[in-house]
Amino acid sequence: MLRRVLVANRGEIAVRVIRACRELGIESVAVYSDADAGALHTCLADRAVRIGPAPAAESYLSVPALIAAAREAGADAVHPGYGFLSESDAFARACLEAGLVFIGPPPEALAGMGSKIAARALAERAGVPIVPGLTPADQSDAALVAAAAQVGYPLLVKPSEGGGGIGMKVVREAADLRPALTQARREAQAAFGDGTLYLERLVERPRHVEFQIIADDHGHVVHLFERECSIQRRHQKVLEETPSPALTPALRQRMGDAAVRLARAAGYRNAGTVEFLLEGAGEDARFYFLEMNARLQVEHPITETVVGVDLVRAQLLVAAGAPLPWTQDELRQRGHAIEVRVYAEDPARGHLPQAGVLALYREPSGPGIRVDAGVVEGSTVPVHYDPLLAKLIASGETREIARRRAVAALQDYPVLGVRTNLAFLAALLSHDRVARGDVDTTFLDEEGGTLLEGHHDMPPEVSTIATLEGVSALAGTASPGVPDPWQALRDVRV
Amino acid sequence: MSETIASRVTPLGRGRYALERNGRRTRAYAARVGSAVWVFLDGRVHVVANEPEAVAAGHADAPGSLSAPMPATVVAVDVVPGQAVAAGDTLVRLEAMKMEWPLAAPRAGVVRAVRCAIGDLVQPGEPLVELE
Repeated sequence: MLRRVLVANRGEIAVRVIRACRELGIESVAVYSDADAGALHTCLADRAVRIGPAPAAESYLSVPALIAAAREAGADAVHPGYGFLSESDAFARACLEAGLVFIGPPPEALAGMGSKIAARALAERAGVPIVPGLTPADQSDAALVAAAAQVGYPLLVKPSEGGGGIGMKVVREAADLRPALTQARREAQAAFGDGTLYLERLVERPRHVEFQIIADDHGHVVHLFERECSIQRRHQKVLEETPSPALTPALRQRMGDAAVRLARAAGYRNAGTVEFLLEGAGEDARFYFLEMNARLQVEHPITETVVGVDLVRAQLLVAAGAPLPWTQDELRQRGHAIEVRVYAEDPARGHLPQAGVLALYREPSGPGIRVDAGVVEGSTVPVHYDPLLAKLIASGETREIARRRAVAALQDYPVLGVRTNLAFLAALLSHDRVARGDVDTTFLDEEGGTLLEGHHDMPPEVSTIATLEGVSALAGTASPGVPDPWQALRDVRV
Repeated sequence: MSETIASRVTPLGRGRYALERNGRRTRAYAARVGSAVWVFLDGRVHVVANEPEAVAAGHADAPGSLSAPMPATVVAVDVVPGQAVAAGDTLVRLEAMKMEWPLAAPRAGVVRAVRCAIGDLVQPGEPLVELE
């Protein structure tokens, strides 16, 4: 068994891993940048090691700093969380070379899955359908323009490395391709250190359905069913749920089998997610392999809730060489779970990230409510990192019960001092199409701007309370529904 | 306006308030942030202050000036002084929180001054480009 695990991450996922370690009797080591010296994950772990200044490149993304911290703390394993270095084969290799267990897939599998070209080739070999696309060896604009004509429009320009929607551009006609190439290349270079671009046919109005898999060292690979993540803003997931309203049992089985086939072909170990695009619904739906996320996902709690397992615990066991704690036949879906991501951002100003101190922060609770948070009241939200504060997971026997629980919990979740998307999420979950499950990946782009309409009025009690707190006179509300940031920048005085 | 809403507000401590409106009860929360009060009521957040600056969580732009909406790094400057731009043209691109944020001209005009350079770390409200 593992003895002492260094958690190479911050925020809610670091907290999640630290708790799982504690439950297994494993010591945890947090790492922190100067911006996180007082952060929740830093305080919660058994030990904490400073790894550098605030910028991620000099702290959470610094392989030498993390390896040195693991040595200093006497760790025997490293959990990378998600984001940061979680999918870096270089980091996984550096851990192995330092004699540390990397709680994730082997570096070869990471390298294979990190490159979309290699991952697609692997999917083809494993008999998993893929969306037509090309990565020209010649990455000049001229060669990419020629390749685009072959792929066909509309298309997506994507960085070959990385994910999370960073650097991804939709191009509808040839005239718009060159500026998109320039921008995507720059974003890819900045985010992943590699400007190689990949062109892919755009599947119109797809659903995003992914399958959780996990593999051990003893030849066992299982899937833990799907998560639907169609509600995305700029390719960043906002709401995830399971089961998907679009899958039939037969389709679920076909997709689950494909995910397991792919993991086997990749020589995969530990937890991972196979993402698919789903075109249509029901028995006629077609699915295409999109990419494999070779790590624990942000949205893993909905799978844990509906399947009744602890994925982080399973990760730790498998990494220590133990067999998977369950067989495929033992895994069942029961009820429904919905997760929403609580961000420090201002929905009224183009979802601009926010920073500051959480002057008041009170999480909701009750049956079917789980909050995975990286903050507590008084926490500072730094400007340097992803603004995810917490995840709210609501579950119940049916989708409608889970949805209503989520809405009620979001309306009972006061966060003051830093603007958040909580009211936006409540409005989103109350939207007719979300209530019906009639969504695709274009939903938020089309409807997101109208969700906060009518949120301007201030109830009279607000000024009464302000007076009691010692402030009166001028007033403004936090949530005028202005989707365009420039519009907001010119007009909003709030 | 007639007095139609009869409501009673009772402080409960630690920022909590009990509200009774026409016989129905609800809860509210409040916190002082600088010179403003933030209030959570009915699932929404309101900011109350006696100076407009405190109400504004961000900075309103001076006329003719475009400023950074958040702490960010300048990754591209697409215009030079003297250049004519149309409304919607991208002037500057910022990167923050792993995303690129293009800043477009709010109106047509001529660039009077560019106050940032690639690689600059800019703070909210810092002017980036001035238009004639």
